[in-house]
Amino acid sequence: MVYLIGVPILLTLAILQSSVFSHLTLLDGRPDLVLLAVLSWSLAGRHNEAMLLGLIGGLILDLFSSLPFGSHAIILVLVIYIAASFEGRFWEAHLLLPLSISLIASLLFHGLEIGTILLMGRPFDLTYMMTRVVLPCTFLNLVLALPASQLAEGLRSRLYPPEVEI
Amino acid sequence: MKRSTSRTFVAVTLILVAAGLLTLSLGGYLTPIQSLILRPISSIQSWVALRVAAIRDFLTSPRDVASLREEISGLEGEVARLQQEIIALREQAAEAEILAALLDYARAKPESSYKAARVIGRDVSPFLRSLIIDVGSDDGISRGMPVVTRRGLVGRIIEVFPTVARVQLITDPEASVNVQLQLSRADGVLAAQLNGELWVDLIDQSATITQGELVITSGLGGKYPAEIPVGQVISIHRRDYELFQQTVIQSSVDFGDIDIVLVITNFRPLPIEQPLP
Repeated sequence: MVYLIGVPILLTLAILQSSVFSHLTLLDGRPDLVLLAVLSWSLAGRHNEAMLLGLIGGLILDLFSSLPFGSHAIILVLVIYIAASFEGRFWEAHLLLPLSISLIASLLFHGLEIGTILLMGRPFDLTYMMTRVVLPCTFLNLVLALPASQLAEGLRSRLYPPEVEI
Repeated sequence: MKRSTSRTFVAVTLILVAAGLLTLSLGGYLTPIQSLILRPISSIQSWVALRVAAIRDFLTSPRDVASLREEISGLEGEVARLQQEIIALREQAAEAEILAALLDYARAKPESSYKAARVIGRDVSPFLRSLIIDVGSDDGISRGMPVVTRRGLVGRIIEVFPTVARVQLITDPEASVNVQLQLSRADGVLAAQLNGELWVDLIDQSATITQGELVITSGLGGKYPAEIPVGQVISIHRRDYELFQQTVIQSSVDFGDIDIVLVITNFRPLPIEQPLP
């Protein structure tokens, strides 16, 4: 069920990321909607589903990118796997959890993207890209992290309502 | 512990699947599937891009000055047309003075034919500078075709699917364009810097370059047709101890605000083979 809903959502987000949010930039940074969506699903406690959605979302992103097909898929699965390993460590700070994980995940996502670009042998200016792209993207992701995790939590409670003993 | 092992197993499996797809893609085996998937997606993306452009136009221009905007747009078009005309006339004059023999050749060249395309997306990675346009191999588009707007050179097609194509912008650090400075007739190579600045390098030290001079494609190398406007010189870097001088240019195209582009469809880039190691 989650995939029936998740795949169209990821497709819509990827189209928005390519066509709409490419115009709404902060310096050269824009929010990573697909990353935020799968990350929020992982924060809602559905780690394995989030990783599979990460694979699907990454493949969709690859359709809209010059990076080799499959690279975003690997990056997203890795990011979700690492983010999921923080589960329980911030268990007392519910508000900080999505923010902290989004910060780490955004930096990791862009770090791996930069790694892929360097592997392709493309020229790269780390300082410029950090200030113009990575930091603004991370900031925008942080701004959207809380509403995204709230939406994911709401969707999770609808799809998987808690069992009640009578 | 068991949960974490299961998660690791899932992650490793998914990464292996993605790595397999990456390998197949690098071998070119996934292109038909990508084309098949992109066909319906490109229609949705076109629809979204069209609405977004309409909303952007609506929000950025107050309705009470709509007529002024229309007039400005008309005048801009006229200025661009006149600028193109000036470039063409200057070119003809310079050619007549310098190499009269080549003038006949230049005139004999067939007129370019264009295919208009709407920009429906940009690379989802903010590190890469490419556009996605709504025409593809179904419309006769092929790899290497130059892409322009009425203001000048945008880039060239680097990837083609049946309904969409990807355009590498000249602001991408991997792109290079052979250019000519129109007044000084000096040749150079345009290369985008990582910070987005456009530099023309490999200009002969003896060339006398002036600020504001127009930069056009030279046609050398066969990647782009000649005489497409690229930009204007904004600063000159000349040091006596260096072999070449460089200039920084301001592109004639606003890359942040491109909605429609023209693909030159009757230009076939020369297949230049890489030298053997």
